Parts: sequence; structure tokens; C-alpha cells
Amino acid sequence: MWRLFLLVFGVFLGLLVPWTLYLDYQVSSEFEGRKWDLPSRVYARPLELFPGERLSRADLEQELRFAGYRSAAAADKPGQYHVSGQTIDIFRRSFQFPEGTEEPRLLRVSLADDRVAELTDLKARQAMDIARLDPAEIASIYPLQKEDRTLVRARDVPTLLLTGLQAVEDRHFKQHPGVDLSGIFRALLANLKAGKTVQGGSTLTQQLVKNYFLSGERSVARKFNEAIMALLLEWHYEKADILDAYLNEIYLGQQGDLAVHGFGRAAMFYFGQPLERLEPQHIALLVGMVRGASWYNPRHNPERALERRNLVLDTFEETGLLSTAEAKSAKAQPLDVTETPQGSGSQYHAFIELVRDQLAQTYRESDLKSEGLRIFTTLSPVEQEKAQRAVTAGVDHLQQAGLPAGLQGALVLADTMSGEIRALVGDRYPGREGFNRALNARRQVGSVIKPLVYLLALEHPESYNLMTRISDAPVVLRQPNGKQWAPTNYDGLSHGVVTLLHALTRSYNQATVRLGLQIGVNNLLHKLEQLGVSIPIDAVPSVFLGAVELTPLEVTQIYQSIAAGGYSVPLRSVIAVQTSDGGELVRYPMRLMPQTQREAIGVLNYALTQVVQQGTAKALPGLLGNSALIAGKTGTTNDRRDSWFVGYTRDRLGVAWVGLDDNGPARVTGSNAAMRVWAELFKDLPLEPVDLRMPDGAFWLWVDDETGELTAETCPGAIEIPFVSGSEPTTSTECLAALDEDNDESFWSKWIDRKQ
Amino acid sequence: MIESNKAIRPKRGIAPAERWQQLQYSFALALLAVLAACAGPPPVKQETPPPVPAEQQAIPAEVQKQVREPARRDSAGVQVYPLQNPAVKALLADAAKAEERGDFDGAASSLERAMRIQPKDPEVLQSMAEIQLHKRAYQQALNFATRSYDDGARVGEICSRNWRTISVARGHLGDSGGASQAELRASQCMNTKPTSY
Repeated sequence: MWRLFLLVFGVFLGLLVPWTLYLDYQVSSEFEGRKWDLPSRVYARPLELFPGERLSRADLEQELRFAGYRSAAAADKPGQYHVSGQTIDIFRRSFQFPEGTEEPRLLRVSLADDRVAELTDLKARQAMDIARLDPAEIASIYPLQKEDRTLVRARDVPTLLLTGLQAVEDRHFKQHPGVDLSGIFRALLANLKAGKTVQGGSTLTQQLVKNYFLSGERSVARKFNEAIMALLLEWHYEKADILDAYLNEIYLGQQGDLAVHGFGRAAMFYFGQPLERLEPQHIALLVGMVRGASWYNPRHNPERALERRNLVLDTFEETGLLSTAEAKSAKAQPLDVTETPQGSGSQYHAFIELVRDQLAQTYRESDLKSEGLRIFTTLSPVEQEKAQRAVTAGVDHLQQAGLPAGLQGALVLADTMSGEIRALVGDRYPGREGFNRALNARRQVGSVIKPLVYLLALEHPESYNLMTRISDAPVVLRQPNGKQWAPTNYDGLSHGVVTLLHALTRSYNQATVRLGLQIGVNNLLHKLEQLGVSIPIDAVPSVFLGAVELTPLEVTQIYQSIAAGGYSVPLRSVIAVQTSDGGELVRYPMRLMPQTQREAIGVLNYALTQVVQQGTAKALPGLLGNSALIAGKTGTTNDRRDSWFVGYTRDRLGVAWVGLDDNGPARVTGSNAAMRVWAELFKDLPLEPVDLRMPDGAFWLWVDDETGELTAETCPGAIEIPFVSGSEPTTSTECLAALDEDNDESFWSKWIDRKQ
Repeated sequence: MIESNKAIRPKRGIAPAERWQQLQYSFALALLAVLAACAGPPPVKQETPPPVPAEQQAIPAEVQKQVREPARRDSAGVQVYPLQNPAVKALLADAAKAEERGDFDGAASSLERAMRIQPKDPEVLQSMAEIQLHKRAYQQALNFATRSYDDGARVGEICSRNWRTISVARGHLGDSGGASQAELRASQCMNTKPTSY
């Protein structure tokens, strides 16, 4: 008998000791080598608020929602806003900007006629000149394990979270060695009494172990392993470290295939607030969810979650963590969960791809995924939403109007002067990932290239001005491959001798090729390079008509230079990147790279406004319902495969493309397709007229619109157009000569007077 | 928030001291690697100013002595300021405070914010040019000052600051002829009467 007992005991020990050692190895290697990968957070540009700003109420509310603000009966907590008529109270949250932390502040924005009329700091009762909101979080770049977390430390989190967790989950956490026998006994009793499992006897340590290693199965063997590992964990490590790990490890929700771990992230995920700003009822909900994050999911099962939360609040009250009054008031609060989690927007992934491209030049992909960087970008969430809507609705509309099915579109919206990308759409279907046409669709640009041919001409003031005459007559060229090339005009006609201005605004092909031949194709290729596009292009004459394949983003770069009056800026999507603790900062400052001969660009800007005033984009003001001065250029390619429209105001530059992915004939033209998509967006944006003030070296003159001779404003046929210095006409109309004779007399008489 | 790479401190037993040291060492290495990766300059084609040692971070006197003071003297009495947006004014004041602290990056950020509101404000552009002088990014100083002149009234104090900045920048870039030419332009800023635009 004894022998048998000893044998069994010996076998048991013989197995248990190595098994324990094995578990010990597992526990310590897991716990010590623990390095949590932190996803990088990507932020939109912060909304600036200032008196005089053009901002509609709808846009402001939309911005607030994007930034995770909640509408409330009164804005009395950070993260809330309250709308009453044209007055919007916003309790701005604190936020760590690259330049430093801005504190929470209660702001009142009064709007009138879609402008900010007044901005007030309600607490200080003071008018403000400017304030910015904390930016919307538009994306996270995740580590491979698909875990989402924001690290917190026990000593930084609200005390109620720590005490509350222990009150609900593990009352003897401070004392027990990892396993709490009295807790198990209590749970057993409670379960027996209820006839089902209502309490678990697991300590926080056991729960942590379970989160680390074990599957969800309920078995004696698992319980046994869990208990041993919990004891080992407690043997090796301090309670404080275990608590830290617990706070960051515990599973609290799911977003698609992404698991939300830890209280830091859960606070943002459910409430749009950092953990330290949560109130008792919020903390109670999170503590309650430890028991079953999906069962008590407040977004899917709000009633169940509310019941659980209030039960937890009762426990807080019983254990003296909250006074009766506090618990009562907390229980009266709604769940307060944001509609959608911040940063969940797949509508931004096209833009995020651009962000990754820019960062790839400085960071390794693995750093972006694991170092918890804070990435500050240029995206405007409201403009992004409008841009996507414009592409979706615009292309749908074109298809309904009889254009082929499968039509696709892309749109880039940039700040004209700073080159900051405000919106980027790579697909007509919102949120669809895959081919990002704005970045990757390399398509012939057609007439969109023509302005560069005219720019090159204007750079030779001794030979050309906008009134220079050129022949729009058939032209036949031999291509390098031996074939003949005889471009025709869009309307199939030749238009005789026309001015450069007329040929550009009407986009005549034959005149442009003739001008191009005078300029030289290599000069055109060189100009493309100067404007920021360096891809190999064959030097053939068809380049004059846009036989060059560029992406919408590259076209944006070229036109940024023109729209900004020759002050090129490399396009930017990222402004700064900061480490997760708000320390070290990498900035991507704005860099001006001025073009030479900006006076020619100034004159070209005027010509491009005339494309809209009288040329191929004449329909635009009607589409926009606005006659603000806008500059633009249409583009169509052979067999109507691609439709382009590039247009700009003082502040915004938009490039739209429409076509078929297989590059088949799409029956599109610049003005029937892409311009409609462009207008669909710009009709919802504030339109500041293009500024046509000429730089040094160019000036305005009144000339005759037929002959190009100098004339007077009051003479028939007078138009005022800009000239590069040295290109101005030298002859005058008879009308001007007659006026001058009168003036001459008085001039001479004055001269003589002065001499005397 | 805590650093992502923080390893957890063992209490007793199993992790020998060496292993812990190794861990710290690899952590330090990893941190260094991250720092090195982060510290790389942003990918820009133009000149990147060389890092300035800490003891030289004191505000260079150049901008004050060679740009602002003479421009103020030139313009005594002549003020051609366009009406300024209060928000832009507030940001200019922020930038000036950051500049006083020697925080030139902070000043540049405030000025970029101002540019998003009024992209062509000549004073904002000129202030940016002066910050670039502080940062010894002379080509950028030249570019911003040129732009400020193009977009400004081309007369008065800002005009004078434009050309003095251009002069100083050209000097540093080795174009002494251009520098004295710019000096001459600065002195002409007060001659021309403001024309109506």
C-alpha cells in the first residue's frame, strides 16, 4: 500500500517538477522579453478657428464628429460640443501638438453667413484671435500581430480604475500569491447559489496568464496550468509590474480583424478620450467589460452593457470607492460611447498610402508599425469626404449619362501655395482598397501639357507674347519609327492664323504642335523636369499634345508650380513625426523652390483663367454656380481614353482624372467628364479668386484684341492682358495715336514750362 | 505613456544579472537604431542646414543688425502695412516669442500656420526668411524673402527687410556681387512712391 502510494507520488513528482520548470520557462520568457509593439497614430491637420474664416455650420459639425467630439445638451466636458442656431460651444480636449501641449478650453464659435464671426474663450470671457481643435485621428499603422494598444502605466491611470478592478475582479490582489483560495471558494458558493456560473475565482494574475498563453477552453487541465503559471509569475515579479502588464494586455474589444488590448486604447476606442479623462461611469463600463468584451460590447449590446456597468457601479459603492451620491449620479449617465471608433476610417487609406510613401524615405516600415510614432499630416477630413463624394457621384452620373460601365476616377486636392495635400481619392468606390489611381495610374495627359509649351514661348519675350500670331493649319511630321503623324483638331477644323492666347484657350492641336516645333521637344522635357517630374520620356513631337504618361499626383506637382506663381513646393502629406512619448521630432518643413522667369508663369496664369472665361472650360462657372475667377485646363487623349481637368483657385488646386482601367476608349473628354467631377467638389468649397497680380518683370497693358497693338482702354476692341517685360508691342493703334497727339502737346508744354 | 521597448524588471532568481545587462544593452542598441533612423534628414533636394552645436544656438545678431534695424531706420515714417488678419497677427506674435527663446523650428511652425491662413502675407513670408537666416538655411532665406517682395507692396520697411535678407543670404552663398546689388535695392525701397494696386 505504502509502496503504491510512493510510486504514484514519485511518478507525480517526476512529472510535475519538469512540467513546472517548463511552465516557468514559458512564463518568464514571455513576461520578460515582452515588448509591446505600438501602432503609429496618424492625425489629420488640426482645424484652425479664427474670426473671418470661411466655415459653414455643417462643415464645422462634421469636423467635430471626425475628431471624435460628441454632441451634448451642454458642452461641459472635454470632447463635447453643443449647437444652438449659429452658435457652437466646443469643449476642446487637450492635445499634444508637435509644438507643445494645448490645454482643454471651452470655446464658443459664432457663425454668420458661413463665416466665423466671433471666437470666444467662455471661461476667460475673452475674445480670441485663433484657436485650433485637436486633430482627428485618421488611421493607425499596425504591427503584424494585429493588436491595437496605447501603453499606460499603473501610476498614471485613474485610481478608481485600479481599485475598481480589484474590487470587482480580485479583492485580495495585494495579498494572494497568484491564486486566491478564498476567492475561488466565494465564487464556488455564489455559483452554487445561483445554479450557474456567475463569478469567476480567477485572480488578475490568472487572467493575465490566460490572456498571454491560453485558449478560451474551460478545462481542469487549463485551470491547473493557469494556476501554476500565476504562482510562478508572482514568485518572480513585483505586483506593480503584473498590474502594469494587466492594464496593457487585457482584451477589451475587436475592430474588424484588429484586437483592442489594454485600457489605454479601449478608452479612445469607446469614448474617444484618453484614459485619464474618463469619469466613474466610463471606468465602470471598461471594468465590467473585462468579464466579456464582446458580450458586453456597448456598441452592439447597449442594454446589456448598461446593466453590467451599473452592477459594477454598485460594487464600487459597496466597497466604498464611490459615495452613494456619486454612484447614483454615475448610474444616471448614458453610456456615452462614440458612434464610431476614432481612426477607423477606411476612407483615408488612399491618403495613408501617400503618407507611407513619404515616410518610407525616412523610416523603415517596421518602425512605423511598432514604434508608436505620432504622425501629423495635412489631410482635411471634410475635404476628403467631399472629394470622395465628388468622384463617386460624378462618375455615377457620367455612367448614367451613357458613358461605359467600369469608368473610374481619381482626384487630388492640394493647398495651392504650401503644396499640402488636403484630399486624395484613388477609386470611385469609397473605402475600397486596391489600385490607388491618384498615385499609381500612369496615363497620357493630353492637352493638360499644352500650357508648358506656351510657357516656354513666353519665356522668350523677344519673340513671343500672348498676342503673337501662329498658324493653326495642318501639319505632317515623320515620326522616329518612320510613320507619318498628322494631328487634327478636336473639331476636325483648322482655324487659320490665331493668337497664342486663342490657341491655348481653345486647345488647338495644330497651332500647339507648330509652336512646339519652334520651341523644341527637349526644352519641353526639360521644363517638365524643372517642375518636378523626372521620368524618362521619348523626345517625339507627340509629346507637345500630351503623349506623356503621368499620374494625377505628378500632374498636381506640375500645376502647383504654375498656380503658386512659380513658387514650387514639393508636395507634402506629412508635416511632422514624433515619438510616442511626445519627445523627438522630425519635421518636414515647407521648402520654396522658385522657378526662374516667374513673370512668364504670371502671364500664363492669366491665360489659364481665360480657358475658363472663354475657352474649353467655359461651362465651368455654370457647373459651379459661381463666377469667381478660376484658372484651369482640360485634357483629352486619343480615342477619348482619358479625361483630365486641372483647375485652381487662390487656395486650392484640384486635379481630376476619369477613364477606364484597361485604357480602352471611354468616350470621355476633359470638359464632359473630369471637369464635372472637379466641379462636383469645388462647388462645395470656398472659392477665392485667382490672384493675377504680376510679379516683377511683367505688367498689364491695353492692346487691340485683333492686331495686338498698344491701345487705350477707351478704344474699340481694347483688352487688358499681361506682358513679360520686353515682349510688349511696339506699335500703336490709330485710336491710341490720336489720343497721344493730344497728350503730347500738353506734355511738351509742361516740359517747356518747367525749363523756363 | 511609457516607452514601447520597456522590458519588465525581474524580482528574484531566474534572470541572471548578465542576461539582464544583455537585455539592457540590446535595448540601448535598439534605441540607438531608432534614433539614428529618426534623425535622418527629411528627403528634400535642397540644402539641409548643418546641425548647429548647442552652444551656438544663441540667436545670431545678423538678422537684428543687418536686416531689421537698418530697415527700420530706412523706413522712419513710411509704413505700408496691409491690413492684417488678427489670427495671422497672433501667430506672428507667437513666432516672435519662439524666436526670442531661440526655438526657430517652433517659430517656423507658427509661420507655416499663418501661411495656411494668408498664404501671401508679405510680413509672414519675410519673417520666415529671417528665421531661415537664423537657421543658416540661406537658400531658403533668399527664396522666402524674394517671395515676400513679389507678393508685397515692394516699398517701405518690408521691402527693405526683403532686400537686406537677400543681400545677407547672397553673401553667405558666396555671391558678393549679388549681395551689394541687393543692398542697393534695399536703399531704393524708400525712393519709390507706393503705387496703387
